[in-house]
Amino acid sequence: MSARSEVQVLLYPALGMQHIRDGIMVVNTETIAGKVITQNLGVVGGSTVRAKHIGKDIGALFKNIGGGELKAYTELLEESRTEAIARMVADASARGANAIVNVRFATSAVTAGASELFAYGTAVTVE
Amino acid sequence: MRSIDARVRILTASLLLSVLSSGVAMAQESVSASEDPPFILICLGPFLLIALGFVVFGILWAVFAPIMFVYGVIFSERNLNKRMSDLVLREGASIEHFGKDPLSTLKGGHIVGGAKETGLVYSSIVFSPSHWQLIIAWINQLFGGRIDVIHRVISVGRAEAKQRLREQAQAAGWDEVLNVRIDTAEMTPASKPKGTKAVEVFAYGTGIKFG
Repeated sequence: MSARSEVQVLLYPALGMQHIRDGIMVVNTETIAGKVITQNLGVVGGSTVRAKHIGKDIGALFKNIGGGELKAYTELLEESRTEAIARMVADASARGANAIVNVRFATSAVTAGASELFAYGTAVTVE
Repeated sequence: MRSIDARVRILTASLLLSVLSSGVAMAQESVSASEDPPFILICLGPFLLIALGFVVFGILWAVFAPIMFVYGVIFSERNLNKRMSDLVLREGASIEHFGKDPLSTLKGGHIVGGAKETGLVYSSIVFSPSHWQLIIAWINQLFGGRIDVIHRVISVGRAEAKQRLREQAQAAGWDEVLNVRIDTAEMTPASKPKGTKAVEVFAYGTGIKFG
């Protein structure tokens, strides 16, 4: 495997793994009610940095003066959260987990227009 | 403050544009005999395009910024109050649907029968005060004490995020949402204080279906 493709795998674990995603339970509680955790497979995480195109940025700039919800940025967050979760789940399924418990999110604004979202949790097998 | 900023921007852009175009005109005079587009024009093309972009943005800013400011002065409080009263109605509707408030910060130890199904629920909103409200807040800051304007904006944003969480849970068919966390983050990084002044609220929890 070349260095470039290793980087690809590191950055995009979600590539080509859509088919094994469905069986995984993602919760932010420490346990799943009625189930027993049998194996701890370590911390898994997924992150993404996204931005909107400049037209939407300018629109949000004007909307900001008037106040209220900035729909473009709400959308941006929604997209990046979904992507981060998908990457985390792909990471977990690569380790053979069937659940992720205690999921946390961290957000940081890298620059004014872009948002970095990081989702992490513990991959486990439950019965 | 903003309008001066915009004026400076337009002035610089138009100055740049005129300097560039006079240079281009001179170049055109010198090579007007030949049919090919002058070399200097091709070299300056990208700069001209960027200058044009700045001019367009400057004009847009000079036109729409005052309009949006006046809109904020007249409507921002009214919109906020409207959203508040809407939220009360929507909250009532979803509490009626679940039979209680579905959101809780409990971890699920109280559930006796176990869960049939669990999954993540999340929702978010980016909410901003208008510049008029920021000015009022600044005046309030001079006197100290409670700054009600900003408090109202942020609490409406947070209530909206919570209500969206309830609606998502309702749409996905969960019975209850456990371990709800509400994160508030600022859109504007500290390194760039002139950017968008907005707050992002982002709520998540574990949806559960009873077995």
